[in-house]
Formats: sequence, C-alpha cells, structure tokens
Amino acid sequence: MKNFLRKNGILLLVIALLLSILIGVSSSLLGGNADPLSNVVSTITAPVRSGVAAVAGWAEGVYQYVFQYGQIQEELSDLRAQVAELEDQVRQGQEASRENEQLRQLLDLQERRRDFVFESARVTARSTTNWESTLTLDKGSAADVEAGDCVVTETGVLVGVVSDVGLNWSTVSTVINTDIEMGGIVSRTYSAGILEGNFELMSQGRLRLSYLPEGAQLVAGDEVLTSGRGDVYPSGLVVGQVEGVFTDPSGQSRYAVIVPEAQLDSLIEVFVIKDFDIVE
Amino acid sequence: MTRRDLIHKWFFYALGLLPVWLLDACILPRFPLFGTIPMLLPLAAAAVAVLEGAYAGAGFGLAVGLWWETAYPGGFGGLVFGLTLAGLIMGHLSQYVLRQSFPGYLLCSAGLLAALDALRIVRGLITHSAGLGAMLQVAVPEVLWSLVWSPLVWLLFQRIYRRVGGTRLA
Repeated sequence: MKNFLRKNGILLLVIALLLSILIGVSSSLLGGNADPLSNVVSTITAPVRSGVAAVAGWAEGVYQYVFQYGQIQEELSDLRAQVAELEDQVRQGQEASRENEQLRQLLDLQERRRDFVFESARVTARSTTNWESTLTLDKGSAADVEAGDCVVTETGVLVGVVSDVGLNWSTVSTVINTDIEMGGIVSRTYSAGILEGNFELMSQGRLRLSYLPEGAQLVAGDEVLTSGRGDVYPSGLVVGQVEGVFTDPSGQSRYAVIVPEAQLDSLIEVFVIKDFDIVE
Repeated sequence: MTRRDLIHKWFFYALGLLPVWLLDACILPRFPLFGTIPMLLPLAAAAVAVLEGAYAGAGFGLAVGLWWETAYPGGFGGLVFGLTLAGLIMGHLSQYVLRQSFPGYLLCSAGLLAALDALRIVRGLITHSAGLGAMLQVAVPEVLWSLVWSPLVWLLFQRIYRRVGGTRLA
C-alpha cells in the first residue's frame, strides 16, 4: 500500500494538500502579518531582492545619464524655473501664514497641524503578476511598519497602503490595486467619494473615485486628495487628478477616473507613515 | 541511485530554479512588455516534470509551489497543491501520451499556464471583481509572453537533466 501511494505520487499530493491548507489557514488567521514560513523565506531572500534592485537602479541611472543626458539637462532647467516660481510663492505664503496665525490668536482658534511619523524605505521589487499592482519594500515589522500604513513619495503623494508585513520586508498595495478602498475628496469642489481600485482600470494605471454626489461639477485636471474620513488614513494626501467623469452602468451613480500622481513604475525610495496626528 | 546521488541531483535542479526565480521575481517585473510580465515558475515545473516523469515532477512541482507561495506576496496556499498535481499530470502525459521533448514540454507549459489563468478568471468571476473580457485581456498576453521564455527554461533544465538527471548518477 505504502509503495503504491509512493509510486503514484499520491503521498506527495497528500503532503501538498496539507501544506496548502496550513499556509492558507495561517495566512488568513494572521491577517496583515505574513505567515511564519513566508516570513522566513522572504526574510532570507530580502537581501537578494535589495541587491538586484540596487544593481538595476544603478544600471538605469547610468543608462539615463548616457542616453538621456539632453533630456535631463532640459528637465533641470525646467525645475530651476519651477523652484524660482515656488520660492516666490513661499514668500507670499509666509506672509499669509503670519496673518493667519494672528487671526487665529485673535479668534482663539486651535492651531491646524499635521504631524507624521515617517519611515523611509526602498522599493526592492515590483508586482510579480499581472493580476495585481504591488511593491515590495525593504522595511517591515522590525521598523514598526504595520499593515494599513500609508506610503507616500518624498513630495507627499500617496503611493499605496501596506498590505502584508514581514520582519524586514513589507508589501504595498498601490493606489490602483483592486483591494484599495478609501475616502477621497476633490480639492476644488470638496466633492467626496470613495477611491477604489478597479481591475479594468488597473492595467491602464488608473483608479476610480466612486459614489460622487449628484451635483458634483468636476473637470479634468481637478486634484483629488484623501479625505481622512474614519481616521484610518491621513487626510490631505495627494492621490491624483481627475481624467474624466462617467456614469455607472447601472445609471444610478457617477464616478471619476483618476490618474495617480505617483509614478508607480519608477519609484525607488518611499516613506511609510507609521503614525499621524492631524488637527484641522 | 544512492541517497547522496539523489541529493546531488536535486541540488542541481534547485540551483537551476535560482536564475529562473531571479528573472521572474526581480528582473522581468522591471521591464514589462506592453504592461505584461511573464510567469516563469510554471515553466520550470513543467520542464522537470516532462524530463523526469510523474513522481519526480510532482516532487519538483511541490517545491516550486511552496517557493511561489512563500517567496512571493499574497499567497493563499493553493499553488502548492496545484503545482504538485500539475507536475504529476504533466509527468504522466510526457511518459505515456506525449514525448519527453521540447514540443511535449511546450504543450504541457501552455496547458499549465492556461489552467492557472483559467482558475484566476473563475475566481474573478465568482467574486465579481472584474469582467471576463478584462481578465482575458490580461490572461492571453500573459500566457503568450510566458511561452516566449519557454525555450530558455527548457534549455537550462535539459542541460541539468543531461548532466545529473534520470539515473545518470547511479
């Protein structure tokens, strides 16, 4: 009997089935934390991923320097012009915030503030499948990163939300992934909706702002931010811009297609918001 | 074949899996072709199943499935059983129906890739996460682009098979 099972691979199938059940049960019980086996394997392979990412990053840098030197120079002069313009805006802004502070003191209003606790992380791998949009970071539970933490770029643009955490790695569902769902608001009109990933739009690098109010007058280019409703995610993080407004196939609600502001396929360094305190 | 020979043989097959994994997980996702990333791990499982037969194919399928579930994000366990079963079936097919050659391997690979994506489509339809058309638009290029890489994976494992495969170490 033992020989029959062995010879026909039935024994292997039984072992495989038991392993499948074990992984399935442990990953569903642990929620956002990786199951022990995945944690061990991914922790061991993390340095390899980091090494490959570093070499690939260096090679991309050299390629850009050699073959796109003219473009880089052009971008540099554009950025210098932008910096000059922004410096002028900052000067005007400083004057306005001084005035704002005086008025708040006059009216005895609480000061608005946004305190974030950041953890910088490097992107070591991108989606390994065409069915989801994820990034792997080189920081995990050892750096107090938790499932549900928001991830932003150096300019504060939302990249996604941490979905799976291991010891020295974590997986981020990007804003276009199908499991993303959070409150969003259009900064110009204050129209609120639900930001959600959509499979059809994911391959085009887009997401939806669903359940828009009936009277919402959105135009292409409107900026969309996180609304922070429910205090799960911070408010005011830039998500992207409205590309177009459409009516749901049911005809009952309208949604906007959003182009994310973050360049998801070329990110190298990001920041995980481990904690936040916003007073508005 | 002694236990030492067996360890030697499977060590080389595991070593063969390493460049396939590096390509699949770390390098190719950086350079998608028209937004499509190939799946190379099923090709490795198919190659060993076709070359080594049903029992060894199931064993290697189990190892590849376990690696896929643990080294890649978002695993739910199903691939361990799925690839073991696939290794067993492909091994039997190559032994009794097809030939242990590249065309047989290509057919097995195409079947396995199609089966994996069909399961994803069925899951997507059950959970209403996407329409059939949208999922086919992802699945078809994925299978085709993966098959383009099949000669490379075949050559790698055929080379290992010629060196240590079957009962050569005995």
